[in-house]
Amino acid sequence: MFNDTVLKEIEGIKAKYPDRRSALLPSLYIAQREFGWLSREAMTCVARSLNLPEAVVRGTASFYSMYKHKPAGRHVIQLCTNISCMILGAGKLVDFLETRYGVPANGTSGDGRFSLVIMECIGACGTAPAMLVNTDFYDNLSEKRIEEILENYK
Amino acid sequence: MIEITIDDRKLSVEKGITILEAARRNGIKIPNLCFDKRLRPYGGCRMCVVEIEGGRKLASACGHPAREGMVIKTNSPRVRRVRQSVLEFLLVHHPLDCPECDKAGECALQDLVFEYGVPETRFTGERKHAQPDVRGPLIELISNRCILCAKCVRICSQYQGRGALGLIGRGFPTVVQPAFGEVLECDYCGQCIDICPTGALISKPYKYKARPWFLEEKENICSFCGVGCTLTLGIREGRILRSKGREGAGINDGNLCGRGRFGFDYIYSENRLRTPLIKEGDEFRDASWEEALTYVARSLSSIRDAHGPNSIGAIGSPRCTVEDNYMLAKFMRAGLGSGNIASSEAFGYAGALRAFSLSFGIGSNPADLASPLGRDVILVLESDPTITHPVFGLNILRAKREGSRLLVADYRETKLTRHSNTWLQLRPGTLVALLNGMMNVIMDRGLFDRDRVSGIRGFSSLEAVVKEYTPAMVSEITGLTGEAVTDAAVTFANAPRRLVIMPLAVSENNKGPGSALAAANLLILLGEEPSSLQVPAEYCNTYGMLEAGIMPRGGGMDVFDMLYKPGHLRALYIMGEDPLVSMPDSRKIKNTLRSLDFLVVQDIVMTEAAELANVVLPASSWGEKEGHFINAGGLRQRIRKVVEATGKSQPDWQILRNLGLAMGINLGAKSFQDITKEADDFIAGGRREAEGAPRPAFHPVAYEPEEPCDSEFTYTLVTRDVLQHSGNMSTRSEALKLVQAEAFLEINEKDAERHAISDESHIKITSRRGAVYLRAKVTDAVPEGVVSTPVHFPSGGINELTHFSGNTCSRLDAVKIERVK
Repeated sequence: MFNDTVLKEIEGIKAKYPDRRSALLPSLYIAQREFGWLSREAMTCVARSLNLPEAVVRGTASFYSMYKHKPAGRHVIQLCTNISCMILGAGKLVDFLETRYGVPANGTSGDGRFSLVIMECIGACGTAPAMLVNTDFYDNLSEKRIEEILENYK
Repeated sequence: MIEITIDDRKLSVEKGITILEAARRNGIKIPNLCFDKRLRPYGGCRMCVVEIEGGRKLASACGHPAREGMVIKTNSPRVRRVRQSVLEFLLVHHPLDCPECDKAGECALQDLVFEYGVPETRFTGERKHAQPDVRGPLIELISNRCILCAKCVRICSQYQGRGALGLIGRGFPTVVQPAFGEVLECDYCGQCIDICPTGALISKPYKYKARPWFLEEKENICSFCGVGCTLTLGIREGRILRSKGREGAGINDGNLCGRGRFGFDYIYSENRLRTPLIKEGDEFRDASWEEALTYVARSLSSIRDAHGPNSIGAIGSPRCTVEDNYMLAKFMRAGLGSGNIASSEAFGYAGALRAFSLSFGIGSNPADLASPLGRDVILVLESDPTITHPVFGLNILRAKREGSRLLVADYRETKLTRHSNTWLQLRPGTLVALLNGMMNVIMDRGLFDRDRVSGIRGFSSLEAVVKEYTPAMVSEITGLTGEAVTDAAVTFANAPRRLVIMPLAVSENNKGPGSALAAANLLILLGEEPSSLQVPAEYCNTYGMLEAGIMPRGGGMDVFDMLYKPGHLRALYIMGEDPLVSMPDSRKIKNTLRSLDFLVVQDIVMTEAAELANVVLPASSWGEKEGHFINAGGLRQRIRKVVEATGKSQPDWQILRNLGLAMGINLGAKSFQDITKEADDFIAGGRREAEGAPRPAFHPVAYEPEEPCDSEFTYTLVTRDVLQHSGNMSTRSEALKLVQAEAFLEINEKDAERHAISDESHIKITSRRGAVYLRAKVTDAVPEGVVSTPVHFPSGGINELTHFSGNTCSRLDAVKIERVK
């Protein structure tokens, strides 16, 4: 079960809505943060803290592809490979991430440090290539810059 | 009201309703696959599209509100074309395994495809090839056939309040299943089976049993709880194969619980009695009716002649019809001259009747199944009507959805506590203290109309009693905080429309007539009418049995004297009841039964009590005889003979009439019509007598603790119903046994740890009266220090542990628990 701090956080979200189901999506994000991904345990915790049937929680979670449905690394890199990024070498960066950090496209590195998600346009075409690490945004990427950035994500 | 036009018909309809609803109410059929009147509009299937004049796009009728002046076409060529395409798309994925599908012949999808004449599809697409999920006991999920209308998911979570099924995934791979693909564990109400428009959810006991077009459908009233639902029975070659609800039929209007849907097969129990039995030595031998009745007649006559009519007693049955019970009462009163007529309801509904009479001065207070709707506050007291009266319980859930505040006082977690606004988790059996405490707060704060109420008889003594029950004192007894007691009182007193619900069940030991009196005091204090106290009678004909005269009158003995005090009776006639299973302190009863000179048991199956009988008479069961049940609302409903009687069994009333003849007593009743008319007149007479305005009076009740725990007996045992069973009759149902076949003991996780008990461990529980062995069910639904068990199962022998005393608040038992190595 969640610890008291997390439960309080969820209570805070619940208090914003007349219907506790409305707190489901944000609570799933919290569970994902706490457990790293939406494991069965994570969803059960959400169900219990919101007093919702597990089937509702899993049903909702499984509808949204942007939740983590598989265990992910400690840090999730989301790299764009759409046209602008592709032209400016995003493909090479994908290879770089694999050779340098051992993280395959849409996979997780052996040491559990990184997961790499190849994602669609993140609206940074003017400063491509671009990526998100967890919720932080980075653009004008090169191999060297990636190395510098990822130093901050152990 | 607004004016709209549907298919050239000018209609006047209620403002705010949808086009589909407007059409339905006026007999205009708009096809649909995802609509159900019990559910919120979903708009998922697109079959209900209609053309609205002036509108660019077609609208789905189920979600589109009707507006003033709207001109709607439900069957235009454009609409038909779209519907045809919808069906065409569905058939790209839906397998055409109709030849082996149970639903074929009554399948909404099949019927619509037939109606719309869908040509061979122009598309090819993926089909699902999943294995059916056959793991659950009663419900099979065949996801290949699912069209994702989500009706099952929605009825389960929106209507039943359970939420056992989810739509898992997204897009084509979506499946309906329990959250994590585990075995479906739910209420097993089977509402999902009835509501499924295809064959994606089917009843396992009915699977491959018959093609629906060969079934003969007959309606009958359910034989379990006091709600009195109408079952639509499917019969083939003289055997009932299935039971379902039908929209528009009966008070349940299409709803059923698992007992009504799956439990009817108890009438096919192997244990059914097929012929009269006479005991010789220690063994029974088959006998003819003539021989058995002559023997019973001679024995009863000689006992009556030697010891007087008062040495003979009878026990009636809330499962038998009005006619059966009326005949038993007549046989005893008019035939033998004995008033010793009683039933197990002495421990249940008869207590409620006593409370109605004392508190409100009324002879009856029929429950109203729709009573929860439209109340501001509903207070449910140490009960779970979603278990005892499931279809009534649905109205509580509905009221909550529609905005009623639901306060549930219960020692344990239940479906209702999960849906409640406030769960008052009190210690079991302390209800009277809570109610007195609420009255204390109400009086203290002047939340009642003193001028109006102070003139009511008993007010000053109520004031004196309730004065002691300060929130602090009540907190000490109930374990609730004083604040919670105060809040509950203030919420309840300030609500303009209030309701109290508290079924009193024979099988429950945590409340009693005293609890009903205390609830009545609270309501009278607030100026409420008797109808605000809902105590639904327990079984299918509890209400009718009592009205038919099964209660001691004119100095007759009640069960307390008949069954617990050996020597009061010489002979006993038991009809359709097993006191050794249903009534507390069964060891005492066993002693009494053994001490009798003569015991007759008339039942549909061999029971524990029948084992001790001198003569056992086989009665025809529900479904095998004609008669009437009166439900908890006082509604008299006809039950029908839909299949042939088992073996040589006969309807109970007929056996009693014939026995009378064998004794030279003419009880009349030449035909079923005669006895029905006579019973009916008798009941009508009783009702006329009971008429009259309520004369309220306060009968203050003090809280009395029952059998306290000590250093040896450290746990409080609470007996309670489980959802899959009703009394012990349902334990003969093979289908229901697949869900719950034997007794178990619920124990809190922490207590379990203390005794090194895990799920399924064998444990011995001992009370001051006896010991039984049960399996453990470790749970966080019951609090520490409390263990809970259902009494339905004859093999469980729970009532060897229990007791009763003069205490009217509860009859809880203190027990100890040991793990059996």
